[in-house]
Amino acid sequence: MVEPASVLLKYGFLIVLYLFLVWVSRNALRDLAGKTVSRPAPAAPAGLVDATGLHSLTPEGDGLEPQLVVERGVGLQPGMAFDIGDGAVLGRGDSAEIRLQDPFASGRHARLIRQGGIVVIEDLGSTNGTYLNGELLQGPQPLHAGDRVRIGDTEFVYEDR
Amino acid sequence: MSARNRELLALVPASLLLTAGFAAVFVERDDVLSDVSLTYGAIFLGLCLVAHLVIRFTLPDADPYLFPLAATLACFGLVMIYRIDETLAREQAQWFVVGLVLFGATIVAVRDITVLERYRYVIATASIILLLLPRLPGIGQQVNGAYLGVKLGPIAFQPAEFAKIGIVVFLSSYLRDTRQLLVSAGRRIGPVVLPPLKHLGPMLVVWGLAMLLLVFIRDLGSSLMFFGAFLALLYVATNRLSFVLFGLGLFAAGGWFFASTVGHVQNRIDAWRDPFDPELYDRVGGSYQIAQSLFAQADGGLFGQGFAQSILQIPGTDSQLLPAAHTDLIYAVIVNELGLVGAVGVLVVYLLIVERAMKTSIIASDSFSKLLAAGLGAVFALQVFVIVGGVTKVIPLTGVTLPLISYGGSSILANFVLLALLLAVSDKARRRTA
Repeated sequence: MVEPASVLLKYGFLIVLYLFLVWVSRNALRDLAGKTVSRPAPAAPAGLVDATGLHSLTPEGDGLEPQLVVERGVGLQPGMAFDIGDGAVLGRGDSAEIRLQDPFASGRHARLIRQGGIVVIEDLGSTNGTYLNGELLQGPQPLHAGDRVRIGDTEFVYEDR
Repeated sequence: MSARNRELLALVPASLLLTAGFAAVFVERDDVLSDVSLTYGAIFLGLCLVAHLVIRFTLPDADPYLFPLAATLACFGLVMIYRIDETLAREQAQWFVVGLVLFGATIVAVRDITVLERYRYVIATASIILLLLPRLPGIGQQVNGAYLGVKLGPIAFQPAEFAKIGIVVFLSSYLRDTRQLLVSAGRRIGPVVLPPLKHLGPMLVVWGLAMLLLVFIRDLGSSLMFFGAFLALLYVATNRLSFVLFGLGLFAAGGWFFASTVGHVQNRIDAWRDPFDPELYDRVGGSYQIAQSLFAQADGGLFGQGFAQSILQIPGTDSQLLPAAHTDLIYAVIVNELGLVGAVGVLVVYLLIVERAMKTSIIASDSFSKLLAAGLGAVFALQVFVIVGGVTKVIPLTGVTLPLISYGGSSILANFVLLALLLAVSDKARRRTA
């Protein structure tokens, strides 16, 4: 014998459930359509397209201001930020734009080049190497926000705000 | 409306559902409209409010829908398990509380998810040890042929539930570093890019691990879950469909080989292919469970038989009509009692949770966050697919829990940790875009 109260409760349960789901879905859909910034992918120079497509490329002059923020380092204040602009050389020598005082750094240690919307880091044949996210850098690599660049005892975090 | 106020508002319908569910079960059982159901609803709302406050103070920008959706699932679980067995429901409620505490603790501990990256090898090693624990003599437990449980004195748990999170964390961190190399240093053979051998190694290790799981744990479901999550992460990290197809091919080959050699897996596949074969139906460990599950679901119809109407035991006897109704087959019980409409509701809740995870992955700014959110979403979705697929005879039935609904402490705890990590990632991601 099925109680009428029980039937009412069952349909009440289902109605509350569906109203709740419709509410969440509507908000979620609005969220998907609205807030996501779908940047038009610019024609990047050949060979520099982010091969994995995990990061959308930003067109030049989009307010992209790539910076290296000091995490720790010899003679550098943590939190200090170096603007990369169109490119910079990191090293101990006088010709380096980002001057390091780290005894493990070479004169011209590594180079950052801005190509299109991405910044590429490249080791310049340094003695002790450059580490990207804890791995020895081999060949040019594109940088992504949050990447950690280490030279000797000096560590930077790459930001592109 | 701010994100946190939305979350607060969404907890109200979740608690209403719990109240309505319990009220319906009480009416069927004792013929009274008991106000105890209101008390239960209030307690549930109170517990969720505490968790909500923890989120409000530590992760103010986190996704507002994830937690209420999870609470809805937990409310389904509590009502259904209460309807199946009162003592189990009491334990489940206790686990729910412990789960919320762990949820809060995880949120406070890993507010900054980059901490996880620092310990990635520790996490990876711990996960693998956890996976192999059930085969250690003395503490391992065999349930229906599969080795999924561990019993240490009075504490029994399913280590695979926790290992799935650890493995996703490790793979996200690992692929973040190697994904560029996997793509750029590859050798091109026709349209297919093969990753260099040196980096193929770790992929083969993960494949080997999945196969090892299949042999050691003898569970096709968990093996599929782990390997599927890996392939999903690999696809997100490299955008190469060829890697995924290659991985699927490897898995299919390995799966076919072991399925035909490991007896337990073979049994499951036989039961799946022809559950209504009288000989298989009567055999111990045969197709009785899956066949009964299908009968129960068909019996549910469009709107179901109603709360507490599902017949779980053969009347007048002790033998079970729906074996393992509170764990493996809880989805079948839901379909039986709430019908297609209720079941679709449950699946939409899961779908929305996964959608929120993917959305988080899209707006996250750094690779690790993107991979972690996508990986956690994928492993969660695959777990639902493995068990719902098993119960509905899409794939062979294996003993994986239905996240946040099935009875089981490990499952509840692990999924709350997973949820906490997703919230931590989304807080970081949304703060940037806000």
